[in-house]
Amino acid sequence: MTATNGQTTLSIRDLHVSVEDAEILRGVTLDVPAGEVHALMGPNGSGKSTLANALMGHPAYDVTAGQVHFKGRDVLDLETDERARLGMFLAFQYPAEIPGVRVASFLRLALNARRESEISVMAFRRLLLEKMQMLRMDPKFASRYLNEGFSGGEKKRNEILQLAVLEPELAILDETDSGLDIDALRIVADGVNRLRGSDLGVLVITHYQRLLNYIEPDRVHVLIDGRVVESGGKELAERLEAEGYERYGAATTSEDA
Amino acid sequence: MTSTTRDLIADLSTSHGEPGWLRERRAAAWHVYETTPAPTWSDEEWRRTDTSWVDWDGAAPAANGADPARLALPMEVSSASALLRQRGSMVEVLYTSPEARDAGVTVVSLAAAADTDGATVADRLGTDLAPPSAGKLQAMNAALWSGGAFVRVPEGAKLTAPIVIVIDAADQPIFPRTLVSTGAGSSADVLEWWRSSQAATLGFANGCVELFVGAGSKLSYTHVQAWGSHTGSFLTQYASVARDAELATTNVTLGGRFHKGAIAATLTGPGANVRLNGMAYLDGEQFADHHTLQDHRTTDAASDLLYVNVLDGSARSVYAGTIMVQPHAQRSNAYQQNRNLMLQRGPRADSIPRLEIMADDVRCTHGSTTSTIDPMHLYYLGSRGLGLDQARSLIVDGTFEPVLDRIPDATVRSAVRTAVRAKLHGTAAA
Repeated sequence: MTATNGQTTLSIRDLHVSVEDAEILRGVTLDVPAGEVHALMGPNGSGKSTLANALMGHPAYDVTAGQVHFKGRDVLDLETDERARLGMFLAFQYPAEIPGVRVASFLRLALNARRESEISVMAFRRLLLEKMQMLRMDPKFASRYLNEGFSGGEKKRNEILQLAVLEPELAILDETDSGLDIDALRIVADGVNRLRGSDLGVLVITHYQRLLNYIEPDRVHVLIDGRVVESGGKELAERLEAEGYERYGAATTSEDA
Repeated sequence: MTSTTRDLIADLSTSHGEPGWLRERRAAAWHVYETTPAPTWSDEEWRRTDTSWVDWDGAAPAANGADPARLALPMEVSSASALLRQRGSMVEVLYTSPEARDAGVTVVSLAAAADTDGATVADRLGTDLAPPSAGKLQAMNAALWSGGAFVRVPEGAKLTAPIVIVIDAADQPIFPRTLVSTGAGSSADVLEWWRSSQAATLGFANGCVELFVGAGSKLSYTHVQAWGSHTGSFLTQYASVARDAELATTNVTLGGRFHKGAIAATLTGPGANVRLNGMAYLDGEQFADHHTLQDHRTTDAASDLLYVNVLDGSARSVYAGTIMVQPHAQRSNAYQQNRNLMLQRGPRADSIPRLEIMADDVRCTHGSTTSTIDPMHLYYLGSRGLGLDQARSLIVDGTFEPVLDRIPDATVRSAVRTAVRAKLHGTAAA
């Protein structure tokens, strides 16, 4: 919970990642300072989700070279849950459905894992209701089974609810806009914008510029073939929307829209 | 040996002052026991279940053994309608609530009821539901049961708190017997809990439960088997459910090294609605076999079964469930689901569903899943800060939750949840 005073929250240096012996990331270097929102854009297959999962420590993603520091600490030797307790958070593109586990009881457990002393049941209830209200979620949502039978929009909203309750220092949003209609997109973006502040660093991973109309990035990075090929301000996202990724000579064909 | 056992049964019955009809039934049951062959591998029901460890020739009435451990009651006495505790063969009714007394509810030892409610007991004990002829185990229990519990909920009585039956054993074989009967339009929750301490050397338990659910009444019956780790345990639990009546049974299997449950519900009147629920958490070398029967003998009745096993260590489970729809039982609606979750590679679960549908206008379906913990689930929970053990235990909790959800009474549900968690977190494991 230490304040980061504008220092770099996330620092990635020359990161190489393989999945089943195929190298997907081929030297990614990227910094996300505290309080800033960075967008990572790229065509399908460029390695965006691989980066998200490698940062979070998914066991199937093999880091073969490079470094990742979070709040100044090398995290590559940490388990996923240890990274989470340090303050890293990944909003999943496809969140797991866990039958029988209620949203509220799961979130209270997760919050307690982050805290030094347990939050009281009443205080947690208040917190949860407040955050659900912010995301315009029905309170009944709290007693449903985690992601089971949720619509695409409900799953994404549930990810942002977890982000709001857990208050991490780094949020990686992996294709949070996919599968959302415009109203849901607005609510989700609104939620993220309210959480923006002096401490939270955000890495928004997206294929399209659409989400960035609602969550305005401080910086935009373009990932092609496992490397960041260009970085710039938010105007870079607009240019990509107009021109596509072809100018980078990437194989950008199979869009999933 | 066998003739002396017969004399012993008669002597005990006399010394307990049992009525003549009961003494005769015990003698008749013992005869059935002696003339019924023991189960073998060649019987379909016993093909996966080894009973060679049972000392069939040594069966005898319970002797006075060590005093059972003083285990804490599963809930505050005052949150029950009545609390009956059997220790060895001795039964005490520890509590009856004013509500239960005013409603005319009877909770007494079965031995006492054979006297005070002789007509009802004679009419229902081991007659229609679980007669000695049902099998060698049922005959053994009918001859040898002692103590026992009798619950009668009169017509129209509606209880808001559960009736609790606790069976505590130490080292002597035990033969629990329970008879529950609900009058028309009544409503009650019954919790029966079999317990011995982990250190207890109890080797053999063979219990029999008969549930008569009267027209338009609601009964929820929850059975927890929490013997210590030495015990081999048999449970026969048969119910008949009348017109417009609702029955929910939940069988929770936690203890023992061996457990065999034969669970059946017979739907006898239109509008009958039955839920058969089960959950077992097995570890080490534990073995549990549940055979269930949803027996539709009437038109327009529904049954829904959910049995969940979670297996760790090198535990083994057998689930075999039959949906039977008699030829005239049109518009039956029956469902059966068995889920097995393996916490590692060692355990094994057999799942054998069977449909015997003899009517043509029915809806009967079944499903079975056996899975291990999905690594993606562990990753997702890990990404929220939960360590491996915490994530696994949450997933196990979640696997049982749909069954717990089906226990209508909150006090019972919470007592069961506490017992399952205690085992999961190793405080009750062998």
